[in-house]
Amino acid sequence: MSAAQHRAAETVLQANGVTMIFGGLTALNEVTISLEEGRIVGLIGPNGAGKTTLFNCLTGLYTPTRGSVRMRGKELPSDPAKVTAAGIARTFQNIRLFPNMTVLENVLVGRHLRMRQGPIASVFHGPVFRKGERDAKEKARELLTFVGLTSLEDEVARNLPYGDQRRLEIARALATEPDVLLLDEPTAGMNPQETEAARQLIFRIRDTGISVVVIEHDTKFIFSLCDTVSVLVQGEVLVEGSPETVRDDPRVIEAYLGKPREEVEAEVAEAAEALEHREGNA
Amino acid sequence: MSKLSAWVPAALARPFTAVGGVLFLLAAMLPWATFLLNDGAYPEKATLQFFDAPFELTGFRWHLLLFGAAAIVITFVPLPGKARVLRALGWGGLIIGLVGAIFIASEGGGLGAITAADGNTALGSIVALLGGIVLVLGATATGIEDLPHWPTRLGSSPIQQRLTAYVVLIVAFAGVLWLVSATLTAGGIGGAAFPYAGPIFLAYLGFAGGLLAALHGVGLARWISQLSEEHRAFSIVVLLACACALPFTEAGSQYWMQVAATIGVYAATAIGLNIVVGLAGLLDLGYVAFLGIGAFVAANLSGAAASSLGWDLPFPLAALIAAVVAGIFGAIVGSPTLRVRGDYLAIVTLAFGEIFYRSSQNNIGDLTGGSNSIPGIPPVTMFGTPFNEPFTLFGTELPTGVLYYFLIVVIVAIIMAVFANLKNSRIGRAWIAVREDEDAARAMGIRTGQVKILAFLVGAMLAGLAGAVFVHKLGTASYSSFQFLESVTLLAAVILGGMGTIPGAVLGASLLFVLPEKLREFDDYRLLVFGLALVFIMRFRPQGLVPDRIRRAEFAGETAEGKPIEEVEEQVVLEHEQAEHEAPSAPKEGKA
Amino acid sequence: MTTLLQQIANGLVLGATIGLIALGYTMVYGIIQLINFAHGEVFMVGAFGGLAVYRWVLPEDIRDDWYISLPAMLVGGVIIAIVVAVLMERLAYRPLRNAPRLAPLITALGVSVALQEAVRLWFPDATSAQAFPRVFVDAQIDIGPIAISASQLLLIVVSIVLAVLLQLYISKSRMGRAMRATSMDRDTARLMGVNPDRVIVLTFVLGAALAGVAGVLYGSNINLIANDIGFQNGIFAFTAAVLGGIGSLRGAVIGAFIIGLIKTLGGQYLPGGTDYDYVWIFVVLILVLVFRPQGLFGEVERMRA
Repeated sequence: MSAAQHRAAETVLQANGVTMIFGGLTALNEVTISLEEGRIVGLIGPNGAGKTTLFNCLTGLYTPTRGSVRMRGKELPSDPAKVTAAGIARTFQNIRLFPNMTVLENVLVGRHLRMRQGPIASVFHGPVFRKGERDAKEKARELLTFVGLTSLEDEVARNLPYGDQRRLEIARALATEPDVLLLDEPTAGMNPQETEAARQLIFRIRDTGISVVVIEHDTKFIFSLCDTVSVLVQGEVLVEGSPETVRDDPRVIEAYLGKPREEVEAEVAEAAEALEHREGNA
Repeated sequence: MSKLSAWVPAALARPFTAVGGVLFLLAAMLPWATFLLNDGAYPEKATLQFFDAPFELTGFRWHLLLFGAAAIVITFVPLPGKARVLRALGWGGLIIGLVGAIFIASEGGGLGAITAADGNTALGSIVALLGGIVLVLGATATGIEDLPHWPTRLGSSPIQQRLTAYVVLIVAFAGVLWLVSATLTAGGIGGAAFPYAGPIFLAYLGFAGGLLAALHGVGLARWISQLSEEHRAFSIVVLLACACALPFTEAGSQYWMQVAATIGVYAATAIGLNIVVGLAGLLDLGYVAFLGIGAFVAANLSGAAASSLGWDLPFPLAALIAAVVAGIFGAIVGSPTLRVRGDYLAIVTLAFGEIFYRSSQNNIGDLTGGSNSIPGIPPVTMFGTPFNEPFTLFGTELPTGVLYYFLIVVIVAIIMAVFANLKNSRIGRAWIAVREDEDAARAMGIRTGQVKILAFLVGAMLAGLAGAVFVHKLGTASYSSFQFLESVTLLAAVILGGMGTIPGAVLGASLLFVLPEKLREFDDYRLLVFGLALVFIMRFRPQGLVPDRIRRAEFAGETAEGKPIEEVEEQVVLEHEQAEHEAPSAPKEGKA
Repeated sequence: MTTLLQQIANGLVLGATIGLIALGYTMVYGIIQLINFAHGEVFMVGAFGGLAVYRWVLPEDIRDDWYISLPAMLVGGVIIAIVVAVLMERLAYRPLRNAPRLAPLITALGVSVALQEAVRLWFPDATSAQAFPRVFVDAQIDIGPIAISASQLLLIVVSIVLAVLLQLYISKSRMGRAMRATSMDRDTARLMGVNPDRVIVLTFVLGAALAGVAGVLYGSNINLIANDIGFQNGIFAFTAAVLGGIGSLRGAVIGAFIIGLIKTLGGQYLPGGTDYDYVWIFVVLILVLVFRPQGLFGEVERMRA
């Protein structure tokens, strides 16, 4: 990282001791995560670890049972719409586009927040209104170019291939002009080319000044993308640090495979010996 | 529809459609009934032998002749959208045959009436049916192509383009005017005086429907709508002019003006409901209450002797107040929607509707006249002319009620403009987004609660406005006009016509109002048919007659081109696979 | 005081009728998330079915033997109700299982209207209300200062007994378990070997049976039925189901008794009198749906992202 990036970065999003209890189930337990300006943070962990639940707490969809979420020092509002207005945008794990609207319309809905025209202006379609619409469409088209979907502007969202749908969701989220972007499994179901393209896209997003948090199962992808990685296991943060630190931490391997690496290596060695022994006898 | 194409091999398409056309021609010339219907000449001399009086073809036989000739010609002519056109013609003729067959058979006491009895043969209806089936099968055998695109700029210079567009639009809307006039008057007025009005009208609907579908299939409908999009202001002027020209056509009698005006009121209300249901996706089962609120407010401000308020305000002001009051109630009803999920919302609105109905039945606040209602509402008087008197324009004396008609036209035009503008705006998109996926909409920063209340408010205001006109035209404001069944009917109009579009709402309202007028002798069965129709529509064409692109995708799984989305998806997957084939990559090892 | 007690008794009687209908609503909604608008009509059809049995099946001389007539009418009413409900499910609702939510709702409205009209048109003389015989002991039972007729008592007892039986069936039997599983997670239930179509049909059958019983006993009580009794009682029943918590059988019954009491006591004591008693019920409905949509005994639905 360059010296400029190393300069003390402001903490843009801070979750402190977030605990989420549903009935008898503790989904999150004292989770603390911080996102600094201009950084990309990765969130990994086995299925059911609570990653999406954490996202929901970060966007006001759930209110944490304990703990706090602050954006630039201010407490997060409790309504998801207000959270988006405050500058946090997200995509969803199972893609929630507006399926029967076109690509352009989907992005235009993302512009809703940043447009001014109220219902009265909308009835009359005066010059101010029309200018507003033109500007919004222009900005939407810019975003489509940014994510690489220009030619598909008038396609109905349902028709798009999976990878394009994910990109559209990102464009739509970007349309709200967020400071923070939360991506929930953005490369799920993508082939290696698409994954690489996504990686580049996220870098480009970061370069525009947006801070990003990414949930992913593809650890290679995360390690090549993020500045910091947090590992969430059964609702708790197991490890947090640079990709190298996390990758080599035996606890992480154990969490994913269920055993420490040395044990696995020992078992493999034993099996190899037994095989040799048998072949030797034959 | 694409499944029908499996029935007939593509090679036989041409023979089939040609034969279908021939069968239509044949049916036009054959007798249709083996006996003389008692009450006179139906349907246009059904027992006529063509060669006895060769030029006496009228009505449905003339229609069949046209369709048959067209089908034969088109079979051999390259026409864009050919399959769609032929299919439309086929269905149209089929319906004509079906109506004729059912009616004559039931009048004549059995199948003998349409085949052979007493030494007479009359196979006309059966031949028509057969022709329709053959034609449709032949048309779908080659598969239904995309809707053709026509260029919207004809001519080399902008002036030329504009002029040609204007000419086309004028011709198109004049055609619509003619069609509306013909439809209204087809079959005459129903009832005991003329028992054949019903079947004649239904057969006519078959013809008109087939014709319109054929024009749509050729791409004309879309072309015209594109042209009118590009020349908005002009189109609106022409449309208004044509609407105002209706009284000068055949449909200019007092009776039809009254019918047209009532359709107008219903259409206006349906468009308002279209905002709530069609755009925002909020199922409102108590909508007629807003019509009623507007009606009672206007009644009380009209100076009617029976109203307890005793105020007398000029109509425009009273209408405005009615709209505002209804809007306020709309917001009140809408606020619980902040919390309430889809199906429950339907019940809440139904409950509000019933509360209104019961309260007005009991003359709450002495404002509604209870069972006595508020009779004797004076007619609207503007520019010194009371609206319930005949009116002379350009030297022609127009019948009574024409002025109400003009008023309704203006109001419908206003409401249409409001609807269209709202739909294509930030708030319109927000409504549609909330309907598609409320949580995602909220994640985009849309204040979904406010947006939903706004939908109710605007919808209620439009209904209130319509209610004010309604009550003046009717002369009485009574609670019985605003029952649950009316809400269901309005909802049916919106759904039948096609949710989210203006032509849809107008069409739906028209059908639901004109049909009972025409089919008076079936009045007893009206509600039964209505209920069954709802079931059938939801089963076979839930997107309605004139759906907008979004509903088409949502309900029928079709793109705007009319292609089933599965086909498009398969295509996309195929292309994707091809691209991968050319640039092979190792399969990914992650989990989805 | 007597009036109060009398109205309480009347309310309980009304609640009993509504409870039987409400059970059907709550079960169907629990399993396929559909508000079966036409369920009220199933109740109405059951009543007319019982009347049909009385008029045309029972020979004249044994009609007055209530211990034969009543069961016969009950059987007839229940059978017809079940047939109508099964046809409804098969023809109108099943094809729309995967359609957008609007579609089955509109269809239900259509079915409701069609059924009402069908009865009006084809049941002889049904354009006006039909007299319904009191096929039970014609006795008055005095409980303290109030009098309650034997038929009314029968209605209350039967409805509670049937509700308890239903609850036992759902919680203890194999099919009942299948029903509960399907209502929680249809796809997983299918994976476990449950045939969802069968379960859904069974749900409709049970609901219809209860509604049919309610229809016949209602007729026997009020001695007058018309083709629109389905609409009113249907709305009340749905309100009761929602008040009790949709999906909860216990809730449906308790809610029904509460609604019955609101109607009678409200009509007696609240301003507006009996003219506005319906209005109070609708007010309750709105309040429940807005402020406590899970009702008294239902579960809160969690949002998932």
